Amino acid sequence: MKILENNPMNIEKAELIVGMPSLNETGTIANVAAQAAIALSEHFPGKSAVIINCDNNSTDGTMKAFMNAETGAIPKICISTPDGIKGKGNNIRNLFKKSLALDAKAIVIIDSDIRNISPLWIKKLLEPLLKGFEYVTSLYMRHKYDDLLCSLFTYPLTRCLYGRRVKQPIGGEFGVSSEMVKEVLKSPLWNEDVSQFGIDLWMTTLAINEGMQICQVYLGAPKIHHARDYIMEINPLFRQTVSTVFSMMEPFSKPWSVAKWSKPTAIFGFDEGEILTPPEVMVNREILYHKFKTGFSDNWDAYRATLSGENFQKLREIASLEMDFFEMPSSLWARIVFDFAIRFNQKTCDRLKALELLFKMYQGIVLSYANKTTSMNNLQAQEVVEDICLQLEQTKPYLVDRWKK
Amino acid sequence: MAKILIVDDEKHIRTLYSDELKEEGYEVATAPDGNDIHNLIENERPDVILLDIKLANSNGLDVLQQIRNKYYNLPVILCSAYGSFKVNIKAIAADAYVVKSADLSELKKKIAQVLEASASQKGAL
Repeated sequence: MKILENNPMNIEKAELIVGMPSLNETGTIANVAAQAAIALSEHFPGKSAVIINCDNNSTDGTMKAFMNAETGAIPKICISTPDGIKGKGNNIRNLFKKSLALDAKAIVIIDSDIRNISPLWIKKLLEPLLKGFEYVTSLYMRHKYDDLLCSLFTYPLTRCLYGRRVKQPIGGEFGVSSEMVKEVLKSPLWNEDVSQFGIDLWMTTLAINEGMQICQVYLGAPKIHHARDYIMEINPLFRQTVSTVFSMMEPFSKPWSVAKWSKPTAIFGFDEGEILTPPEVMVNREILYHKFKTGFSDNWDAYRATLSGENFQKLREIASLEMDFFEMPSSLWARIVFDFAIRFNQKTCDRLKALELLFKMYQGIVLSYANKTTSMNNLQAQEVVEDICLQLEQTKPYLVDRWKK
Repeated sequence: MAKILIVDDEKHIRTLYSDELKEEGYEVATAPDGNDIHNLIENERPDVILLDIKLANSNGLDVLQQIRNKYYNLPVILCSAYGSFKVNIKAIAADAYVVKSADLSELKKKIAQVLEASASQKGAL
């Protein structure tokens, strides 16, 4: 892929990079760049640094807004995919190629749509990289209904598979060392989903399995940005994220089939910054209930063909529950996820159809979680997520046995 | 057999845990507080730490952070008389947590799990 580049100060070397992937983010990108510059100037004054916007050839003037951003002495570079090529993953790949050319030691990636970014976030993400960590993920205070794809699917499944607890593996903000950049660029597992929304999860999976030193940093403040967790209709985020985690199971089947239970990942950053209450996120239980029920009854045969007999039977039972009493047991959700993971990795699988079917089950677990957590605060709801995680870990032998067959 | 370090300010809890875990075949060391936890770990070289949340002179969650600043992979099980500590965000740095009880079956199960997790990951990753 040809990379378009605007490097007005002819920067050829930089120890630190803050990278900002974007697509039509003209309204927010200048402030994100300005905050990044403050972080680099104030907290890393002795290091050479550059801010790079890696764009998808936006049509709204994003690159111009970035280049006009007030960043003081910190230089800026703009790179972009050619016309017609989109995807966050492609942007990050281009950024990594540029980071090698600049011989950078540490790279932090920040979404350019964040409205409340603080320079402290960049400091927190960069510091562990300078102390030897190779992959740093972010941890936000989130509302109990924010980013449920992460809470109810990606976190429990990656934790169960690889035995590592990375709480927000699709968080958007992360840091990588030059070693991690090299692993990413040489990996043969890159695919179309990864080049889009699958990138965050793919990087986390790769980092765990390549034995990278991983840590999490607690950013405290909730991230305020374009909402992206859609639970009413199947969407690219769901398709590409789920497809990525399922696709990675085949090449990494050896490590995950022997990993038992899970271990926490080092976490830093509790001591600095204010802990704020995240904005409320609403869940419409009536619509979820309707979608789950009609989705199940309209695809009866497909579910019977995908799920084990016992799981299908249990699903039939819970599909008859009234909305206020609807509950999908965590152990059933675990086995449904495992049945779909196995089906997805069979050569005869219509993957798009399988993802559609799983999405309706995902709506069911969201409804069940919403019913259970109605009167809970955000941290109490985390206990329900924890229970789902433990159920997946306990049920893992079911997956291992069926995978071998 | 694995070595377990019990950090708890209540002497009868240290004795109860110590006796029962020795019966299970574990080697056990005890400490009444988490002061100088790094030296304690260096001296005792435990495979698992049982850490009380409410220590007399310090907060177990702060001691947990001190442990994690140096020992990223050392299994730590948080123990408390109250379940409410689980909703403190800092508790996620622990491998597991148990609510204290005279019946130690849950604790023993968690110890076995964290040891199994450590052993399996040494082989896998």
